Amino acid sequence: MNGQWGRVMVAGIFGMVLALREPAGSEQSVAIQTFQFKPTPVEVPAGTKVGFVNHDDIAHTVTSGTPENPDGKFSFKLGGKDATATIELGKPGVYPYFCERHRSMRGEIRVK
Amino acid sequence: MKRFVSGIVGAVAAAAILAVNIGEPITPAEGQQQGHAMTAMATSNTKASGLRSTLNTLFQEHIYLAAAATGAALDGRDAEFKAAAAALDANSVAISKAIGSVYGQGAEDAFLPLWRRHIGMVVDYTVGVATNDKAKQDKAVADLIGYTQDFGAFLQSANPNLPKSVVADLVKHHVVTLKTVIDAQAAKDPARTYTAVRTAAGHMQMIADPLAEAIVKQFPDKFGS
Repeated sequence: MNGQWGRVMVAGIFGMVLALREPAGSEQSVAIQTFQFKPTPVEVPAGTKVGFVNHDDIAHTVTSGTPENPDGKFSFKLGGKDATATIELGKPGVYPYFCERHRSMRGEIRVK
Repeated sequence: MKRFVSGIVGAVAAAAILAVNIGEPITPAEGQQQGHAMTAMATSNTKASGLRSTLNTLFQEHIYLAAAATGAALDGRDAEFKAAAAALDANSVAISKAIGSVYGQGAEDAFLPLWRRHIGMVVDYTVGVATNDKAKQDKAVADLIGYTQDFGAFLQSANPNLPKSVVADLVKHHVVTLKTVIDAQAAKDPARTYTAVRTAAGHMQMIADPLAEAIVKQFPDKFGS
């Protein structure tokens, strides 16, 4: 199975929508800059689109969980400068995430 | 090794490009015209020179402490290794704080683990040398070369006056010069070791000076005299 489709299926199971395209219409934006997710944490109502924009000239990932305990809910790669992706979290809860390539980079989405 | 050599050539060329871009030198004629004012205002105690001095001191200290740590590790002097490693980490924290003093706490917090990562890779290389594990050495070198791209991206993101490829080449040269130190230590050749240590420490000016200049260029109000 294609890895990309695998991720989409996993995302679907957890009530999320991933779109590796322009984060148009996002209500909350998270910038990736100087190896940091900004702002973090972000608090959003359920169903809000959260868009990520990579301003660093290097690949980062947005991977759910923590480096010590990735939870497999979502993971996507922003391959370089200006790469974008959007995630929509339908279920209330706290969603920590990190960058797999730079494990000290951590963020959190709080869905109300 | 060919990649290393090309890295050195690239780093030297890159540093030259940075040096040209940093500022226009004062010609003798201009100096004469401004002579009176320059004499009255001459001082080495400026914020910009302080920044450059601090970065040079910290980066050169990084080499001396790293060499002390790897030398002790290769000789099996455990207590000395631990003390040197602790001092090296204190130096890493100080470098991070210098970055944080310019770019804020978030950048400081992001920089420290990134900087520590390359020290971990150097430790891996040293262990590979100590145990004659060629695969471990090769992996550590590959990791270090890959790391130079991360480091370049970080600094470029913080300061657009620092092109990623230029920084990466300079850091690659740092990796090469430090590797030369470790190889000489492993060969138990003190003359070669200390020559290599001086070369590695001297090279750090090629990172510290452009970094200081780029920061001053980015924040002229903060670092203007």
